Amino acid sequence: MFLLSICQWVDSTPLSAMVRQSNWLFSTLDTIHTLGIVLVAGTIMLVDLRLLGFGLRSVPVAQLVARIVPSTLGGFGLMVVSGGLLFSSEAVKMYHSPAFRIKMLLLALAGLNALIFHRTIYRDVAHWDPASVVPARARLAGLLSLVLWIAIIAAGRAIAYAPGYDLG
Amino acid sequence: MATSLLPVFQWLQSTFIGQTIRHSAALIALLEIVHLIGLALLIGTILMVDLSLLGFGIGRQPVSRIARELNFFTVMGLTIMLVSGPLILTSEAVRCYKTPAFWVKMALLAVAIVFHFSIHRRVTLADPPVPEPSARIVASLSLALWFGVALAGKGIAIFQPA
Repeated sequence: MFLLSICQWVDSTPLSAMVRQSNWLFSTLDTIHTLGIVLVAGTIMLVDLRLLGFGLRSVPVAQLVARIVPSTLGGFGLMVVSGGLLFSSEAVKMYHSPAFRIKMLLLALAGLNALIFHRTIYRDVAHWDPASVVPARARLAGLLSLVLWIAIIAAGRAIAYAPGYDLG
Repeated sequence: MATSLLPVFQWLQSTFIGQTIRHSAALIALLEIVHLIGLALLIGTILMVDLSLLGFGIGRQPVSRIARELNFFTVMGLTIMLVSGPLILTSEAVRCYKTPAFWVKMALLAVAIVFHFSIHRRVTLADPPVPEPSARIVASLSLALWFGVALAGKGIAIFQPA
């Protein structure tokens, strides 16, 4: 199959071999990856909770988003680069891992949810922010984001517990 | 001469809870997921407060207000970690006992908790005028301590005892 042959090719690259053969490199990437996802989830959860009416209620949503997004994107960058390198070290194994496939699907959904939020209801933030009542659609986006990121963390951990897969 | 704590760790691992978790990969995975979510809450909220102390606040919101409104979630994150962490520990207490990263984490955690609820809290609630150097030092120390706890935690999994 097409995706499988891509994964086989990735596994054959020198980069893949380098990460696979170095415990030190693999562990460092693993640590950066965990830190990245903790940053992404930890920051985005604050926006999600605010949309749902918890946490920083006296802070306007637009102010919170403006402050938090750089940290979220920074964490996301760490997560994607380290995740890509970790993937490259065992691409075929990942191809066969159900948890990995679920994680990629959840990531796509989380991205789609954020994109729709920013392209639709968030465009009117100046209108609904001062009213201190968050519109239902924005609350829904917050709830979806919260659930999806928790599920992404869960799926990520599950990759390590897949049969025959040994990661500290 | 200090008495060895090893028997305590051996006992922890021999308990019903320790043995149950130890023999269930699903339970360990679940506890680790909960532990990570707790960490995300803790790090996310503390990052916002410390960025504010460093001068990267949310709009013109006073640091004390941000800290007060986020305090519930900081404490919730910490509580989640302090419940899930010891449960994970019981499943591999003897290995943790022999892993230096575990002791580094416990030491950093103790310092971080004491620092957070004393000096950090006092400075945050006093609303320092933002570019104050002492506030920056407190914020930097807080970030270093909590990220240190997180890194040492990862280290427990990475560094296996000889």
